Amino acid sequence: MSASVSASVSASVSVSTSTPTPRTPRVVPAVGAVNAIDVRGITKDYGDGGVVYRALKGVDLVVHQGEFLMLVGPSGSGKTTLLSIIGCVLRPTSGELRLFGETVSGLPESQLPEIRLGNIGFIFQGHNLIASMSARENVALVNRMRGAPTKDALEEAQYLLDKVGLHGKGDKKPGMLSGGERQRVAIARALAGHPPIVLADEPTASLDATSGLVVTTLLKELSHELGTTVLVVTHDNRIFHLADRIVNIEDGLITDGTPEHP
Amino acid sequence: MARVGWRMMFHDKLKMAGTVLGVVFAVVLSNQQLGVFGGLVYKNVMFAENAGADLWVIPGSAETLAPGQPLSDAVLMQARVTPGVAVADPLLYSGASIQLPGGGTEAVTLIGTRAPAFLGGPWNFVVGDRSALASPDTVLFETSDRDKLGGLNPGSIRELNGHRVVVGGFTWGLVPFGPSFAFADYDLAQRLLRFDRDRMSYVLVKVQDGANVADVQAALQARVPETKVVTAVELRWMIVKYLLTRTQIGVSFGTSTVFGLLIGLIIVALSMFSSVIDNLREFGTLKAIGATTTDLAKLLFVQSVTYAVLGSLVGSFLVTRISGGIRSAQLQMFVPPQMTLITWALMIGMCVAASTLALMRIRKVEPGMVFR
Repeated sequence: MSASVSASVSASVSVSTSTPTPRTPRVVPAVGAVNAIDVRGITKDYGDGGVVYRALKGVDLVVHQGEFLMLVGPSGSGKTTLLSIIGCVLRPTSGELRLFGETVSGLPESQLPEIRLGNIGFIFQGHNLIASMSARENVALVNRMRGAPTKDALEEAQYLLDKVGLHGKGDKKPGMLSGGERQRVAIARALAGHPPIVLADEPTASLDATSGLVVTTLLKELSHELGTTVLVVTHDNRIFHLADRIVNIEDGLITDGTPEHP
Repeated sequence: MARVGWRMMFHDKLKMAGTVLGVVFAVVLSNQQLGVFGGLVYKNVMFAENAGADLWVIPGSAETLAPGQPLSDAVLMQARVTPGVAVADPLLYSGASIQLPGGGTEAVTLIGTRAPAFLGGPWNFVVGDRSALASPDTVLFETSDRDKLGGLNPGSIRELNGHRVVVGGFTWGLVPFGPSFAFADYDLAQRLLRFDRDRMSYVLVKVQDGANVADVQAALQARVPETKVVTAVELRWMIVKYLLTRTQIGVSFGTSTVFGLLIGLIIVALSMFSSVIDNLREFGTLKAIGATTTDLAKLLFVQSVTYAVLGSLVGSFLVTRISGGIRSAQLQMFVPPQMTLITWALMIGMCVAASTLALMRIRKVEPGMVFR
C-alpha cells in the first residue's frame, strides 16, 4: 500500500478546513475504481485449539463509493465482526479486504492505525465520546490526531456540530448532552476531516424511534453531501427505508441483498 | 495527545489528587530523610569547614575528628618551618565534663584554640566574641545547651574537669553529632584537659598568600610522614566517608529514603493503572479511530510528568515548611537547591517508570473492543 497522501474521494467537497498531513495516508482510489469497499471470501474464526467458532464463512461484499448501505441481520449473524474487519480493527482469518482497490487485509498491524485514521470514520453503538472533553474537542480530536492545526480542527468541528444541529453546544461535555445529542456529536466526529468511509455500528441502538430516525437521516444527508461511503450495521427496521441498499447477513454468510461481486 | 492526557487527568480530580499525593509523599519523605541526614553530616563537617585552616595535620590512624592519639610538638615545629606556611597552630580537641549546680555532670567537647589566628574557632557568636578568651579561665559555651549545662549565663561560674571556669559568651548551633563544643584559650584548655605541654590533637595550617596549597601539603607531608596532611575539603570527605561506612547512619537514612521513593512509586503506578482501567473504553476508542500505542504512551508520559511536577511543587513547598519548622541548634535539615533539582528529576523518572504498568495494559487494549 502506498503510504503517500492523496486527495480523498471527497476532497472536492468544500466542507473541510483541515489540512492533510503525512500522518493521514489515504487509500488511493485507482482511476475508474468506484468500489470503496471490496470484501472477498472473508472468513473469521474465534477460539483456538479444539473449539473454533467460525463467525464469517466466506463473505463477499462490495460497497460503492458514496453508497449508503445497511448491513442487517440477527444477533450473532456476524455483522459486527464484518464491520470490525472492514474497519481494520480486526484481522480476518482468510480472504481479502480492499479499500478503493488497495489491499489492506495483508498489511502489518503497525500500519492499520494510520489506515483507520486516514480513511475511516467510526460511529459506535455507545457513541464512545471522551468524557473529559467538550463536544467540539471530541470532534476536533480526529483531525488533531491527523496533525491538523488546533485552530483549523476546532473550526471544522464547530462547522460539523452546526451541521448536526448542535449549534451552541460545542462547549458541553458528553455528560451534559442527551443520548441523541451525543450520537450527533459522534456523527460529527466520524465525518471530521471527511474520511472516504464511515462505519456505523447500531447507531440508533440507544435512541428512541424519533431520535434514531433523525440521526440516521442526518448521517445520510451529510454523507451524500460529502460523498462519503457509509456502511451501517443495524437491526432497526425503522431506518431501513433510508438505505441505498440493504444487505442481509445470517450465520456468517451474505444471504440476501446484492453482494455485487464481479 | 497531550491535551487528551491532561483532560483525562483533570476530569477525575479525586484520582488525580491521590496520584499527586503519592508523589508528594515520596518527595517529603525522601527529602526529609536526606535533609536530616545532610544536617547530621553538616554537623560533623562544620568544624572542618569553619576552622579557617587550609591544611590539617592529623594522626596517621585518624578517620574522623575525634579525641584520639595526640601529635607531638615536633609535628608543629615541622609545620612552622615548612616553606609556604603562614601560620601553624596547635589545636586541642577532647571531651570534658562540666559539673552541674544540682549535682551530676554533662559532657562537652572542649576545643583549645590559640590567639591571634584562632584556627579552629570559635564562630557563630550570639553573646560575646573571641576576645573573651583572653580573660583568665574563660570558656565559651553553646547557647542551645545553656539549660542542659545548668542554666548558664554570661559570667556564670562552673567547674570544668575539676577547674573553676567563667562563662564568657555563647555560640549558636555548634553541636556536632555528640556533646556541644566549648571553646577555651589553648593554654587554659591544656590545663583543663591535662594535656602534656608537648602534645596536641591536631595542627592547623594557614598557607601564605599566593602559595600553592597542594605544594605546601606535599612538602609538609614529606616532613611528617607518620601523620596525614589533608586539606579542609579532604578532611570533610574523610568525615563523610567515615559516617557512611563506619556508622549505621547512612544505611538507616538511605533505607528510609528508598522506602519513601518505593511507596511513592507504588502509589503512582497503581493510581495510573487504575485510571487506565477506568478509561479503558476511551483508550479503545482512541485506538479504533487511529491512535497508536506510541501515541497513548505519549499521553501517559505527559500525565506522568504533570503528576511529577505538581507533586514535586507541593512536596518541595512542604519540605521547606518542615525544614523551617524543625530548625534548631541540635537538628536542622540541609536541603540544598541541588537536592531539590535532583528530587524533581527523580520524581519525573519515578512517575514515568510508574506509568509503564498502565502502558502494559494499554498495549493489550484491542481497538475492536469498541464494537462489542
